[in-house]
Amino acid sequence: MGNFFSSMFDRLWGVNKEMRILILGLDGAGKTTILYRLQMGEVVTTKPTIGFNVETLVYKNLKLNVWDLGGQTSIRPYWRCYYSNTAAVIFVVDSTDKDRMATASKELHMMLQEEELQDAALLVFANKQDQAGALSASEVSKQLNLVELKDRSWSIVASSAIKGDGISEGLDWLIDVVREEQL
Amino acid sequence: MSTHTYKKFEEADSGVLPDTMTIYQDCLNAFNESPVNSKRCRLLISRLLQLLAQGQTFPKTEATALFFAISKLFQHPNDSLRQAVYLAIKELSSVSEDILMATSSIMKDVQNGSDMIKPNAIRSLTRVLDESTAFSAERLFKSAVVSKHPSISSAALVSSYHLLPVAESTVKRYSNETLEAVADLKTFPYHDGLSEHYPNSTYISQYHALGLLYMLKNHDKIALMKLVQQFSSGNTLKNQLAQVQLVKLVGTLLTKDPQMISQLGPLLLGWLSNKFEAVQLEDAKLITSLPDRFVPPEMFASAVQTLQGFLAVPRVTTRFAAVRVLNRISMVAPDKIVVCNPELESLINDSNRNVSTYAITALLKTGTSNNIASLIKTITNFIHEISDDFKIIIIDAVRTMALKFPEEWKSILNFLVNVLKQGDGGFPFKNSIVEALFDLVQFVPQSKELALENLCDFIEDCEYNEILVRILHLLGKEGPSMKTPSLYVRHIYNRVVLENSIVRSAAVVALSKFALVKNDPTLVESIEILLRRISNDADDEVRDRATIALKFIESIKTGENAGPSAAENLIQSKYTYDLASLESKLSQYMAAKKDSCKTAFDTSSISRYSEDERKAIDLKRKQEQLFSSLSSGKGKSKGSASSDSEKRNSSYPGPGASELDHDLKATKYAQELGSIEQFKEFGPIINTSRDVPLTETEAEFVVTGVKHLFKEHVVLQFHITNTLTDVALDSVSVGCVPANSDAESLLNEVTTISAERIKPSETFATYVAFEKSAEVITEELLNTLYFTTRELDPATQEPFPGDEGFQDEYEIDSLPLTAGDYIKGSFIGDFSACYDELPHHEVSVYNIRENISLQEVVDKIILNTSCLTLDNTQFTSPDSNNHTLKLFGKSVLSGARVALIVRMIKSSKGIALKAEGRSDDANLCSDIVNELI
Repeated sequence: MGNFFSSMFDRLWGVNKEMRILILGLDGAGKTTILYRLQMGEVVTTKPTIGFNVETLVYKNLKLNVWDLGGQTSIRPYWRCYYSNTAAVIFVVDSTDKDRMATASKELHMMLQEEELQDAALLVFANKQDQAGALSASEVSKQLNLVELKDRSWSIVASSAIKGDGISEGLDWLIDVVREEQL
Repeated sequence: MSTHTYKKFEEADSGVLPDTMTIYQDCLNAFNESPVNSKRCRLLISRLLQLLAQGQTFPKTEATALFFAISKLFQHPNDSLRQAVYLAIKELSSVSEDILMATSSIMKDVQNGSDMIKPNAIRSLTRVLDESTAFSAERLFKSAVVSKHPSISSAALVSSYHLLPVAESTVKRYSNETLEAVADLKTFPYHDGLSEHYPNSTYISQYHALGLLYMLKNHDKIALMKLVQQFSSGNTLKNQLAQVQLVKLVGTLLTKDPQMISQLGPLLLGWLSNKFEAVQLEDAKLITSLPDRFVPPEMFASAVQTLQGFLAVPRVTTRFAAVRVLNRISMVAPDKIVVCNPELESLINDSNRNVSTYAITALLKTGTSNNIASLIKTITNFIHEISDDFKIIIIDAVRTMALKFPEEWKSILNFLVNVLKQGDGGFPFKNSIVEALFDLVQFVPQSKELALENLCDFIEDCEYNEILVRILHLLGKEGPSMKTPSLYVRHIYNRVVLENSIVRSAAVVALSKFALVKNDPTLVESIEILLRRISNDADDEVRDRATIALKFIESIKTGENAGPSAAENLIQSKYTYDLASLESKLSQYMAAKKDSCKTAFDTSSISRYSEDERKAIDLKRKQEQLFSSLSSGKGKSKGSASSDSEKRNSSYPGPGASELDHDLKATKYAQELGSIEQFKEFGPIINTSRDVPLTETEAEFVVTGVKHLFKEHVVLQFHITNTLTDVALDSVSVGCVPANSDAESLLNEVTTISAERIKPSETFATYVAFEKSAEVITEELLNTLYFTTRELDPATQEPFPGDEGFQDEYEIDSLPLTAGDYIKGSFIGDFSACYDELPHHEVSVYNIRENISLQEVVDKIILNTSCLTLDNTQFTSPDSNNHTLKLFGKSVLSGARVALIVRMIKSSKGIALKAEGRSDDANLCSDIVNELI
């Protein structure tokens, strides 16, 4: 009987259910740093990711399966191999890299058109706010054309993975949305 | 219930392979599940591996899908699952695309994973790395190499070895760590109380480290020497394989520079009493395979003694290894192992047939003409007890013996005929006997008649079509010139009556050749009658062949006195084509666009051999078989990666050991030159020389040169290899200046083709063409290499932009154009008769002061004259200090014959040579006699 209740609660809070989250974005945006900031709470030195990193972490009683896929041009085509069963996508943008905003926007919209990601929530991190000349979240939002997105829960959060600003705020929003929509 | 399900999964045990498609589907489903069921996934991977191990393959798209599915298992932290994942990635990496996607995840495990999965991770990492990504794994490899855990260190070392062809420069950067790993005695991490779970360390990582180090320092003699000194002293190397490796390393050093034996000799002697048998064996093998004159006789004797001791040990593997080395020695220096004969004889009845076979073949070699008969008797009793494979080895030994002791042909022939007739034995065995008989017929003329008669008997009862057809062909070729041709006609016609259509058609061709017998008109008539009868045969092919043969015979008759007609040539052809080049030309012709078939196939560009030439080539190849088996044994032992360098440095290649190679190469060169616009008008190549090294093999730029003769041109082809790692060579060319820089030099340079850029470890060819008059011209050509060096950016492997490079030149050895380049070796049955009948005569005398052996002089003369040695004079006897060499060849330009007799005597002052030459062509004769050395 006790067992029954605990499994009831588990289902309610979704502990047993693993949630798949992808971290995507152009190369050098700070995806791997965000992943390990989430997992270990500290900044690690990273190298360009050839392939992907995957970590499992528990956040607010929820088991998250976070995939950080490499952002180099040569690796972007393989993102699609990891789309299935994805609950949410975290898209990381280097806010100082004004020249490649258009590329980032193109990659983002192309990815969101995928059938397998129709139900996935989207969280955009306007990263590297600690650096001078970084665009603000609303400017990034404009450049990425986020307003055009229909039928999707999305949000954009200004962040700095190095300092740890904005990361948990963003993730909190994401968890709330996903829990509401999908559990 | 649980045992039930367990059983069901274990069905694979029964040996029945699971269905490929089911496994594929199951894998995809299970691996994409969330959360991952690690136990089930592991099981599925094991079944997948089972499939792959059985040789099942997946198409590229499916393999890639599997790979991506498997990569998703990285989310599960279970170590056992991870190990399975690595095994699968390793297997799939060769068939799947986009394997680089796993790189980051694997690297993370190499860095932070548990000791259990690290070795697996390292091994798979090498499979997914390429040149550009290897760079980022350097630090990981470095720390794994120095890891205290032997498995991790070994995995990193062996993986680095495999990484060499991909990213040599990366591996080079941690050679210091590798050196450290050789000396480090790594043991498994013992925990108190748990020690029994860990095996005792064998220090195998020492061996792996030494092997890798050797690959890295391969080209650097001094570094290798330092390694040997460092690790041979004291007790640094505990691992037996590492010690063996060190012996091999000394072996490479010695093949590169045999003079070093004075330094290394004590080491070699010491190893003969090493505590490991393997080390002793390897050492004895090395000592006995070094060039004769460098090894002190006492050392050789003690090596043989060590081997002799091994012949009586209880371990079969040791006995086998020892007898194999002795067998190898027996091929070059049988007299040196005569001391082992008592032991070898007792091994004839060894329970292990491999050992006994080698013992017998060694005995056959040490045999002298006196005891051959008794040996053959022993074998006759023995040969029925062993398997076909070993029978073939013995037949081959008998065959080489037949060529060595032609005067013993009778007992050898009897033996061969006996085993041939005694029923049992498969096709390869019978074929090798027939092959041996063919050799007798070809090269030992005295035995011809008896051998042919016996072959005739044999075909009366032979079940193998291939052998029948070959024998019929031989009968057709040799029969007409024998004393009683009609005898063979009867045997051949019997085949027509009794056999299947394949044999019948071969018999028809053979029969038709008897129609050319000139002095027996009745025979010709009977042949015609027989052929006419055959023209009613049931089989198309047989009928056709008979009809066409009749037509030929008729046309010969009507066109009498008109000399050898085309028809005659077709019945008994005077030459054969070079089959390798014929094949490649034909396939080219077929592969070309359809309309090329409108023009007839052109045979003029393919080299043709007359009967004598073909025999010459055959004989040469057969004599070389001795040596090829010698060197291949060595090549294998050093691993395939080094086999290339092995070939280049092999200690004693003997005269033209790579004749076959040479032929193939010549064909390849001909194709290459034919495709170069500037050389097209020169016409066909008349002769191509061997590839001659013009620099030391350790030089920064290794150059070899080949001479191609055309009718009115000479083309020198230089192969330049850039052995530097960080410098590219631009606009590389070779400047050739005739040494006689008189105004009226007989060679005029026409064109030079240079190589644009030679990147590190690449080889390119450059050419220099000269015009010459059609006569024989001999000239020394002084060569200089001109190039511009440009440093490479290690990141991109491209030159730094803006770097102009600087011009440099480098003198390389000269390449003489000698009389030998105008000569092709040729076979002649009766050397002395031919020698006496040649008109022009020339004598020359040489004195050689250097301390070299007679064998080396002989090799050099053979190489310089490009003639064929006859009457088995290409091997000197190590004991005697005089030798007579007989050479025969033909000019490639005029076909003039050249015969040479070179007598040499070795004394304390050096070697005295007296060369006598006779030829159809006076100039050629004097040229070749005067340029012998």
